[in-house]
Amino acid sequence: MPFISKIQRQTDYNRFPPSTPIVIDNGASYFRIGWAGETEPRVIFRNIVQRPRHKSTGETVTIVGDHDPALLKYFDCTRSGPRSAFDSNVVFQFEIMEYILDFAFDRLGATGSRIDHPILITECVCNPVHSRSKMAELLFETYGARSVAFGVDAVFSYKYNQLHGICEKDGLAICPGFTTTHVIPFVDGEPVYKGCCRTNIGGYHITDYLKQLLSLKYPHHMARFTWEKVEDLKMEHCYIAPDYALEAQLFQKGGKEAEDKTRCWQLPWVQLPTEEPPSEEEIARKAAIRERQGQRLREMAEAKRSSRINELENQLHELEFLLQQLGQVQKEDILSFLSETGYASKQEIELTLTKVTQSLRKAKGESKPEQAENEEKADSCTSDKYPLINVPDNMLTSEQLKEKKRQIFLKTTSEGRQRAKQKRVEEELERVRKTQQDEERRLENPQLYLEQMHTKYKELCEKVELRKRLKTNGGHTNGSNSGGVGRGERLNAAQRERMRLLTTAAFDRGKGEDTFGAKDEDWQLYKLMGKDNDDDDDEADEDEAELVRVSSRLQEIDPTFVPKPEPTASQPATTEVPHVRPLTNEDFQIVLGVERFRCPEILFHPNLVGIDQVGLDEMTGVSIRRLPSKDKALENRLTSSVFMTGGCSLFPGINERLEAGIRMLRPCGSPIKVARALDPVLDAWRGASLYAANTRFHQQTFSRSDYYEKGEDWLRRYQVRYTL
Amino acid sequence: MEAEVIKAELVLPTHMSFKRIQMYEKYPKGQSKVRWKQLKQILQAEICQNYSPDEPNYVNIDSPPSMQPCKRICDITGFEAPYHDPRTNLRYANTDVFKLVRSLPNEYVQRYLALRKAAVVLR
Repeated sequence: MPFISKIQRQTDYNRFPPSTPIVIDNGASYFRIGWAGETEPRVIFRNIVQRPRHKSTGETVTIVGDHDPALLKYFDCTRSGPRSAFDSNVVFQFEIMEYILDFAFDRLGATGSRIDHPILITECVCNPVHSRSKMAELLFETYGARSVAFGVDAVFSYKYNQLHGICEKDGLAICPGFTTTHVIPFVDGEPVYKGCCRTNIGGYHITDYLKQLLSLKYPHHMARFTWEKVEDLKMEHCYIAPDYALEAQLFQKGGKEAEDKTRCWQLPWVQLPTEEPPSEEEIARKAAIRERQGQRLREMAEAKRSSRINELENQLHELEFLLQQLGQVQKEDILSFLSETGYASKQEIELTLTKVTQSLRKAKGESKPEQAENEEKADSCTSDKYPLINVPDNMLTSEQLKEKKRQIFLKTTSEGRQRAKQKRVEEELERVRKTQQDEERRLENPQLYLEQMHTKYKELCEKVELRKRLKTNGGHTNGSNSGGVGRGERLNAAQRERMRLLTTAAFDRGKGEDTFGAKDEDWQLYKLMGKDNDDDDDEADEDEAELVRVSSRLQEIDPTFVPKPEPTASQPATTEVPHVRPLTNEDFQIVLGVERFRCPEILFHPNLVGIDQVGLDEMTGVSIRRLPSKDKALENRLTSSVFMTGGCSLFPGINERLEAGIRMLRPCGSPIKVARALDPVLDAWRGASLYAANTRFHQQTFSRSDYYEKGEDWLRRYQVRYTL
Repeated sequence: MEAEVIKAELVLPTHMSFKRIQMYEKYPKGQSKVRWKQLKQILQAEICQNYSPDEPNYVNIDSPPSMQPCKRICDITGFEAPYHDPRTNLRYANTDVFKLVRSLPNEYVQRYLALRKAAVVLR
């Protein structure tokens, strides 16, 4: 991994005299700080700040950079994620910048009342003056810096590598960074910003693209793809394809070569113990337990019933005894006798007696037949029971009229009951007749009959199923995916039609003459709109009943027949859960195939992620075109010293690809040489350190008084000379 | 604070001896937060300055759009995509991918589109 943080506190701060400059490479992804003249920065950390809440004390704390993630368990990081001081490659959030500088100076071991050193800090190409002045203000006012100088990281890297003979004094620096990519032409060892160009794409976009693609491809493992992990994957496995189309075809065709290029990340996975089906013994044991429980319940119910019968019988005896006694009691003593028993009159006692007898009968389970008998008995003597019905109204008193009404009502209801009973009997007869016919047909030609039954069963099945489908998702026959969303998914066809009618009716206003109602058919509309029910429900029920009948019949006569499992809600117990495929280690594999070169490809084709700017190779052409002097020799010199720096130039294959891309843009026979920095990540800091160690460095810095005297316009034009 | 947190010096101290103005003085607690100018606003201010157009600045060093024909790749697989689904607006490479495209829920379609900034954005 090329990026390693170093955050140990330095102890030798006081060893350096105030004249020794502090060098800061303030990159959008990493912050590096150290002493001028040294070859390695002292402190390196990710340029981010987190402000989580401490879980036990509840105070908000500041955590700068990247730390051991295990330590973050004491903090609640859900409220705020990591924040950066950068918007694109420009520092804009100076509160966060201050936290970062605090941490950096602290880890550098700073003591004393101010940072009494010159500071060289990097910035982006053509940094807006607002950002530059705020940074200068922060360094002077808050930290009391002795003097400040701003420089561009890519340029320092170029100068450092020029010293090591990697590139010439005329050349092109290509710097794909974290959020932006720059191309800077160099003439006579100085950057020419006029010919510079910037595309807003960088390592951040590549990581984000990879992260999104992976989480779309493996939605179940989304939580695995943290920013840090994906960044690691990117650095370890991504490469630049020499030709994207060819490489993609290779993967599309498959085969050995593609397989070799595919990387697989096995997530931790443990095989779940497979559940064995319960053994015979187990089943028997369970059945026995169930049986015992059932037995106990039955016993309990029986005991309850017998105790109730007992109770009722006792009551009955009591009441009978009471009545007997009542018969023996003198007429004048009746009232006093009754007041003792709690009953108001003899009728009441009799009433209770009949009630108790009835409940007793019920409890003993013999009520029904007798009642039916009663009914029949009652029927036989209708005229006795309803004496008033046939008497004309005018011969009756009002009392009797009421009584007559009641009798009429009773009579009609009992007749209705009679009729229903009749019908039931008839239906039963019909059914018996039908089954007999069926049986006869079957005996006539069993084979044919069986076939007929089967076809009938199939037809019914289809019919019922179709209706169900219609009910659940309307007219779509491809029930699995219609692509559409919204109301259509939830309503059936009839309901949808109704909604359509309602909406058209609601919005059909004032369009010409209103002729609604002129025709009788118009009013039918209300019938359609009126109810939200399904008219064909009865029919559906009939079909279902028929289906059940046929399938039971088939089960009787055909031993091989197995009815289809019914996926209805009415029988959830019988519907079997679809068998779940046991998860294997392959379900926990993250396969990186095309993604390996698809993600870095956005450096060359930013429009793949919707950024409408030229890619890395075309940028060189744009840059050369932007140069003020049109000099063929100079252009050739530039392309023969193309230099790459910045984290994204670490992708394997980027050199070759870039060279091929530039060759396509340049005239035939142009000299082209592409070189990568010795260390694309740290060379910017090293170059800056070397630069700040030069004795003439102090001429390029400005002090606090300079800053306030010369004003903003001067600061805007401020630019260090890189060749000292 | 837990011992290991203190040992790692995870938490940034609030007071720094080398600072002239401390954080808590500059941004007192409870006071409304400073609204920092976003890059867009900073650049707007730059443009308003009316610098000479020859002078390079942050805005005019931006790269132009590409002159090369736009490369179309399958949104799902990354292969070259000769086809385009008018219903979802996704590009796809072959029939297998098309089947997948049509079975994707709308949310996923939008996420794929968002990758190339072609998603429907509701404001």
